Amino acid sequence: MLAKKRFSIVVFLFSLALFTACRQKTNTVPGETQTMRIPVSVNDSITLSIDKSPMDMIYFPDDYPKQKMLTPDLANPVARVIYSRPQKNGRIIFADSSITQNVIQQYGQDWRLGANEATEIEFFKDVAINGKKIAAGRYIMYCIPYPGKWKIIFNENLYSWGLHIDKTKDIAEIELPVTKNNIQIEYFTMLFQKSAYGCNLLMAWGDMKVVLPVTFN
Amino acid sequence: MKFLILQITFLCFSFMNLQAQTVLPPLDKSPMDMSYYPDQYPVLKIQDKITEPLVARVIYSRPQKNGRVIFGELLEYGKVWRLGANEATEIEFYSDVKINDIKVKKGRYTMYGIPNIEKWTIIINKETDTWGSFKYDEKNDLLRMDVPVQKQTAIREEFVMVFEKTETGAGLIIAWDDVKLNLPIVF
Repeated sequence: MLAKKRFSIVVFLFSLALFTACRQKTNTVPGETQTMRIPVSVNDSITLSIDKSPMDMIYFPDDYPKQKMLTPDLANPVARVIYSRPQKNGRIIFADSSITQNVIQQYGQDWRLGANEATEIEFFKDVAINGKKIAAGRYIMYCIPYPGKWKIIFNENLYSWGLHIDKTKDIAEIELPVTKNNIQIEYFTMLFQKSAYGCNLLMAWGDMKVVLPVTFN
Repeated sequence: MKFLILQITFLCFSFMNLQAQTVLPPLDKSPMDMSYYPDQYPVLKIQDKITEPLVARVIYSRPQKNGRVIFGELLEYGKVWRLGANEATEIEFYSDVKINDIKVKKGRYTMYGIPNIEKWTIIINKETDTWGSFKYDEKNDLLRMDVPVQKQTAIREEFVMVFEKTETGAGLIIAWDDVKLNLPIVF
């Protein structure tokens, strides 16, 4: 029994090592230096430089715009998220109130699931989350992180900056466990993946990973 | 032993799962950005400072000059350009507007531009959620409008789009390198 246990630990460690090796490759981000804030060189009314936490967009099916380019008459997408991608920059992402230095945010407080504008999710058809029907349409998403779990909340206060949440416009919420990644993800990342019941919205940052199941036919 | 086999099988599956995750998207070289009319609408909204309704939003990606000659070299004159990078640039109107005297109903559209030396043709197209201008189809155009190039003396490093208030509605400023355009939107 002990030998078996030992063997399974070895298998586990091996898989951990392999996993780390796989992940490290993708963790080198090409173009990272180019995306740093660039000084603005024009003396006109437009002074917008590149955002420190740049915006990104994901679809389900994954890479929908590229797929559409290759496959004319592709069926409509199911979902789209527009979010901004803060960087860890050596900080602690979430912590309780006993830690005050070098922390991005404390547990139990609203987090906009990104940066800048509130994170936006659009469903192009009706879906269900946590057993509740979510009508096709556009929503914002935010998160209340706790140790070991995230509460993800859907809200109808569209086109707002993510620092102030109007809770009277919450429409659905779900609590999800945080699983630990064994490597650090520098940039907050969201990605849709296909699942048996629809798709999963994967959210990852630092060593945290959270999966939000979205159900549809 | 059964348990061990089960565990190994499970590990194999979790490998596949983890393998699938190795495609976590890196940071884009030409990052995406968003502009609203009224300008800074989301910030104004949480500050309770909104004085006029939301009219438009553009979502685009921001390539950088990086020492290159942009117009006439990187982007050929007379050829359709996605007005940014990566996904085709999207413009959304939250109420009906007019561009080039043509009614544009509220909704999402894709924008393209055809650069030329003295004027650009700006295109509003009905095919959304697409990549680049590779599959651009003139059949799906809603409208085209020629706008003059305003040559700038200073060089703009990052491509930018932003709305400005005008007497007749808003202008969508489009600027990169030494080029600046202003697309009039009437509402």
